[in-house]
Amino acid sequence: MAARGYGRARRWSVVVALVAVLASLPALVGALPADDADVGAAELRAAVLASGGVGFSGYAVSAGGLALPVGDQLPAVADLLSDRSLLRVWWRGPDEHRVDVVSAAGETGVHVDAGGTWTWEYESATATRTAPAALTLPAPPDLVPASLGRRLLSEAADDELSRIGARRVAGRDALGLRLVPAAPAASVARVDVWADAATGLPLAVEVVAVEEVGGDASLPALDTRFLDLDLTVPPAGVIAFTPPADARVGTGEDPAGLLREAADRELSPVRLPVELAGLGRRDVAGAPAAVGLYGSGVTLLAVAPVPGRLAAGLRSTLTAAPDAVTDELGTRVAAGPLGLMLVEPPRSGAYVLTGTVTLDALADAAAALPGMTS
Amino acid sequence: MIGVELSKMFRRPRTWATIAVLNALPVLVAVLLQLTDLAPRPGEGPPFLSAVLTNGQLFPLAALAIVLPLFLPIAVAVVSGDAVAGEAQAGTLRYLLARPAGRTRLLVAKLVAVLAFVLVTVVVVAVVGYLVGTLLFDAQPVTSGTSGAGTSMSGTPLTPEELARRTLLAIGYVAVSMLGVAAFGLFFSTLTDSPLAAALGALAVLVTSSLLFTLDAASPIAPYLPTRYWLAFVDLFRDPVLWRDVVRGLALQGVYVGVLLTAAWANFATKDVTS
Repeated sequence: MAARGYGRARRWSVVVALVAVLASLPALVGALPADDADVGAAELRAAVLASGGVGFSGYAVSAGGLALPVGDQLPAVADLLSDRSLLRVWWRGPDEHRVDVVSAAGETGVHVDAGGTWTWEYESATATRTAPAALTLPAPPDLVPASLGRRLLSEAADDELSRIGARRVAGRDALGLRLVPAAPAASVARVDVWADAATGLPLAVEVVAVEEVGGDASLPALDTRFLDLDLTVPPAGVIAFTPPADARVGTGEDPAGLLREAADRELSPVRLPVELAGLGRRDVAGAPAAVGLYGSGVTLLAVAPVPGRLAAGLRSTLTAAPDAVTDELGTRVAAGPLGLMLVEPPRSGAYVLTGTVTLDALADAAAALPGMTS
Repeated sequence: MIGVELSKMFRRPRTWATIAVLNALPVLVAVLLQLTDLAPRPGEGPPFLSAVLTNGQLFPLAALAIVLPLFLPIAVAVVSGDAVAGEAQAGTLRYLLARPAGRTRLLVAKLVAVLAFVLVTVVVVAVVGYLVGTLLFDAQPVTSGTSGAGTSMSGTPLTPEELARRTLLAIGYVAVSMLGVAAFGLFFSTLTDSPLAAALGALAVLVTSSLLFTLDAASPIAPYLPTRYWLAFVDLFRDPVLWRDVVRGLALQGVYVGVLLTAAWANFATKDVTS
């Protein structure tokens, strides 16, 4: 009897040991230390900005907490910025890459070549060709850590940057670079970019909003990272796209052209101030002249005069948002670091203000608009 | 002993009744689709079902996707839960063990029989799906370069050989996905004398796993849930094939089978058999 009890204990100890080994494996792999390198912040930023030509293929996950109040008007954009997206990426260069948004039973593929973009939607079997444009709506390739990291660091000043150690991302050593915007109006508290030590390719990007707009350091407003990465240049055949014979093929709209056209038709030119909320005015290629753009880096503000009927629709959407603030200046709401405000001055047309600025900065800007000062 | 267990499994009318019932749902869905022409919108309903109206050859995949979430695991849980506990309940376990073959070998033989059941069931569902699909719907002669049946989810053409190869891989993957259920059933079957309790235990694990998978708070443990990668067979129809989840799914099932069988062996090898 004792011998049998001994055998039983031995057998169960084998089971326990097996489970212990298997259960600790992921933690052990995750705890592998990352090698930091003696690279300064400015130098690392330069390496990141120069990484656009690095070819790779990879699998990335992006999680956004930007609940935009445009779910009905721009569902694709709203989903992209508020949901968890799984991205397959093949990158040969800025003008030749493919990003598939993979879902449980479908996928949307964006194939970019020098002549434009093919967007393939499996669910509706539609292929859409879009010409290259200076100004576009957010698309899946914008959420790839590599592109997003380069974009967010592109206008960063050296005194806004600092090094934050290293960690392992997608099995590679990634050097940390933190951007803390200097502008007091900024609604972004910080941007952490983790760049590949060997190539400068951003492997993970976290955007954290300031606390005033509901920011939480443990819960980034946008978090995108590679899970797998292969630094060999993918074959061109994977990126090229020919629509299947029975697919519905269409031509995509040029949002910048539509915007300009609508702006020219609908918007009366208004003399906007040269500075709003402490942010200087700037020019952006492709933007309509009637729209004023302010700020730089990750602190940007756009001001557009809007016709009355558009303002009415927007007012009902904004006031329906649970955390909307309405006062004598107008109605404003924040979706993470992104603020949106409708201003309706008593004696002139309405304005829409939007950007990565705090609600207080939106209010400051609104007070300085033509028609508001009296 | 393996041969004895296999013939016992497949000579039982109950086994074939289970397989027949399992096929009833996909066939019913196919008939309804044929009568009404109302396929779910792409991206809704089980994967591939929306494509079946234009190509019946995809129906094996749709049929597997229909039975995968619930009916297939129930069948596997019932059969595997019955493996040892059924013998105990019927009072035949001690006669089985009176043979000089040893308990470990009996466990292995039971396991092989359950695995054979899983494989036969999945293949029968696929074959019936193919027959029903090609009988009721248009079966397009798929040629390279044209579309319809031969289009991957990424919009690239697939040759008929490629489509057949990927379908076979998907069938194999679904079969492997069921091994974890079988291992849970077999382990619980060594714990109790009630086959019902063992099957319900395995099902409870699956329901828990499916529920936790939908819960954001459980995301840290999601990669280890037994049902986590079940639908990854869909990834075989992307171009290039997305192997990540398929490989993880295979490895995860391997781990569950390994651990649970070791536990079943640890428990059963020295268990007091009284019935």
